[in-house]
Amino acid sequence: MSHHKLEVKDLHYIYPDGHKAVNDMSFCIYHGESVGIIGANGAGKSTLLMLLMGVLFPCQGEVIVGDVHVTKKTLPFIRQRLGMVFQDPDDQLFMTTVYDDVAFGPRNYKLEEKEVENRVLQALDIVGILHLKDRAPFKLSGGEKRAAAIASVLSMQPDILVMDEPTAGLDPKSRRRVMGLLKSFEHTRIITSHDLDMVFDLCERTIVIKDGEIAAQGLTSEILVNAELMDSCGLEVPLALQNCPVCGIRKTVKQPRKKGNDETP
Amino acid sequence: MSNIINSLYNIRLLDDLARKETAIHKIHPLMKLLTTVVYLTVVVSFGKYEIGSLLPLFFYPVMVFALAELPVKPILLRVLFVAPLIIGIGILNPLFDHQVFYLGGITISRGWVAFFSIFIKCGLTVTAAMLLIATTGMDGLAAALRMLKIPRLFVLQLLLTYRYISVLMEEVARILRAYSLRAPEQKGVHRNAWGSLAGQLILRTFDRAQRVYEAMCLRGFTGEYNTGGYERIRVWDLAYLAGWVSFFAITKIYNIPMFIGSLLTGVVK
Amino acid sequence: MHMADALISPVVGGVMWAATAGVAAYSIKKIQNDLDEKKIPLMGVMGAFIFATQMINFSIPGTGSSGHLGGGLILSALLGPYEGFLTMASILTIQALFFADGGLLALGCNVFNLGFFSCFIAYPLIYKRIIQKGYSTQRIFGAAMLAAIIGLQLGAFGVVLETLFSGKTELPFGPFVALMQPIHLAIGVVEGLVTSAIVAFVWKARPEIIEKASFGVAIGNISIKKVVTGLAIIAIITGGVFSWFASVNSDGLEWSMFKTAGIEELEAPDGIHQTMSAIQSETAFLPDYGFKAPENEQEQGAVEREESWPAVSAGTSVAGLVGGAMTLAMAALAGMIIRLVKRRKKRLAA
Repeated sequence: MSHHKLEVKDLHYIYPDGHKAVNDMSFCIYHGESVGIIGANGAGKSTLLMLLMGVLFPCQGEVIVGDVHVTKKTLPFIRQRLGMVFQDPDDQLFMTTVYDDVAFGPRNYKLEEKEVENRVLQALDIVGILHLKDRAPFKLSGGEKRAAAIASVLSMQPDILVMDEPTAGLDPKSRRRVMGLLKSFEHTRIITSHDLDMVFDLCERTIVIKDGEIAAQGLTSEILVNAELMDSCGLEVPLALQNCPVCGIRKTVKQPRKKGNDETP
Repeated sequence: MSNIINSLYNIRLLDDLARKETAIHKIHPLMKLLTTVVYLTVVVSFGKYEIGSLLPLFFYPVMVFALAELPVKPILLRVLFVAPLIIGIGILNPLFDHQVFYLGGITISRGWVAFFSIFIKCGLTVTAAMLLIATTGMDGLAAALRMLKIPRLFVLQLLLTYRYISVLMEEVARILRAYSLRAPEQKGVHRNAWGSLAGQLILRTFDRAQRVYEAMCLRGFTGEYNTGGYERIRVWDLAYLAGWVSFFAITKIYNIPMFIGSLLTGVVK
Repeated sequence: MHMADALISPVVGGVMWAATAGVAAYSIKKIQNDLDEKKIPLMGVMGAFIFATQMINFSIPGTGSSGHLGGGLILSALLGPYEGFLTMASILTIQALFFADGGLLALGCNVFNLGFFSCFIAYPLIYKRIIQKGYSTQRIFGAAMLAAIIGLQLGAFGVVLETLFSGKTELPFGPFVALMQPIHLAIGVVEGLVTSAIVAFVWKARPEIIEKASFGVAIGNISIKKVVTGLAIIAIITGGVFSWFASVNSDGLEWSMFKTAGIEELEAPDGIHQTMSAIQSETAFLPDYGFKAPENEQEQGAVEREESWPAVSAGTSVAGLVGGAMTLAMAALAGMIIRLVKRRKKRLAA
């Protein structure tokens, strides 16, 4: 199981213009865990994701997936293990039909066309849009686009899913559907979002980022209720945990569902 | 503004039509492409005073319209859209060519004959191109191009352009809406805003291209465009091509309307 | 302006297709040598950008009218000439297919007129020469303006020549040039203004984009020379092949006419004979048969050719009218029958 572990050690990244986007971050994410990464705009979330995926390379420190260090040479392996769902599905769905899009990854790994087909149909089935396989991406609704983007990553059969704002721009029903879908996955999940209610619902553990540094990490149920911490990081306590706006009564907080065996101390 | 909405509507309509499943839609894309090319060549190969022998070529679009169950109106509307341009060039014919002749007791100027010939050719060629895309779709066409050994790089780039037209058009529509709401009674974009308005969009476009590139790399893209296998060409597909090509050849060699006309008038006599 | 299928002859269309395909193949080879796969999505998305930007009306100061962006020059300035040419080619392909702008046969002409002159003449010989001294707002303005005007003038002249060589329309050379060039001077000025405004903005905001494009790809005199010689060779060969094909084909046509004429000499004065003789006179009635015309046109260049116009008897012309009407009626009937049958089938299935 150790190869599903994702470890970040002393990570530093400075943009060419001198902006220190990531400053000495270290954390470890274990097999089957679901971890939320939250922080205000410009805190360094996107840069961190790019470093995890090997789109950017750190100035100092390292990213280790399983036992493999992320370097230029190991990229093909890393990218098979890690699948990333972009914030804007339009960036991810660049082919003319949903089918071709979901098949893009497997075809690049030179799989047999029969196997490609199996994987595409399976991935589309999991996200529940098998009937849309011949559609053009621009004909899809926001929720369908999101599902297609997730399928395009699932067809690569990754162990770890990295998701950037998976619920952004969705209507409440579509948001629920995507959340239900994410909950059903057994992959290790890393989710960045401003949708703190979603993070509260889906992630056992949360890492809070502020100005390129880790401000706090720990159980979601402890981090998200800490109003002082949240406020200092440009965030706020999820609506579900705030006082009822009508009667002012404090809601009882349900512990988020615990899953996976290893919990970080 | 309405321009953009029309264009988007047009692309979506053709994309929808291409996903129908009629006998014509099921024919191999390459055969449809070749049929169209031969058809266009035959249409434009007729001289400038020919109208009669062009008429049998109407059979092709009519058959495709009917067999592929395509709506006639939106496609013909598009043809009318381009017509003014052709009329502009064609209308000069009657001005420059005054020679007249008599047809069934009516005096007709040769220039007008040339004008109508151009007009008919325009209608036929434009319709044929639209019918090709409405029965084949962009992905089918891309497959046909790859079979013709067009470099993958170009095909991929063509598909990407097609894919992002709707994304960028919507973006432009939003920008123009925002502009016009704050600049009432302006016909177009003022000169002061030319560079920044389109320039901002370019910068965003570059960023988007960067993200698309990242999305491609994360799924194993290394500069090579890998596609699935080709659809196999069946005997029926070949028969479709052969059938039409021989029909076009016959219309090219024999003047069919004249034959029918003579037969009728001759028999009547 | 886009050339339309209806205005060109197969020979002109074929030659221009071959020339365009040659330039495109050369460009693809050049890009592949660079091995910068980052440019592939960039070209795709920039193609869509040009497409969308063409929908923006840029109002021209002091005139009350507005202009549009063409795209060839700005693509060269931002991506480089080879990339710009290929992007223009895919934009024009999609326009021909989805918007009936231009046509599939005329695609070669259009890519050449709007892509080649901007990307391979105006960009390297004018724009780059001026810009080489270093970027500044004034230089960008001057370079874009001059390059856009010259690129469009050449393109417009291309349209004139292609139309004349095709001989589908009765426009004399003089008036046609007098009409096209000034219109495209105005279009070129707008193109230059818009291009320079955008390039200057991007240069100020993200200078690396522009500087990378123009200095990354070396486009020296040698490669231009190569392109032009290659083109000339392609044009001569295809022109020759097409003309040969055309002449062989028209011989075939004449042969079939002789055959019909031969039947006439059998002298059998009945209905069928009359039919055949009518066909024969009809073939004379419309002498400008197909492939033969372009061939003559090629030889005589832009000189307008007086076509023979023999007298027509009332009988044949009536037959022509009747036959034409019948043909159209049959086509319409066939279409309607298919629709009816299909509808009935659907109703039965439902």
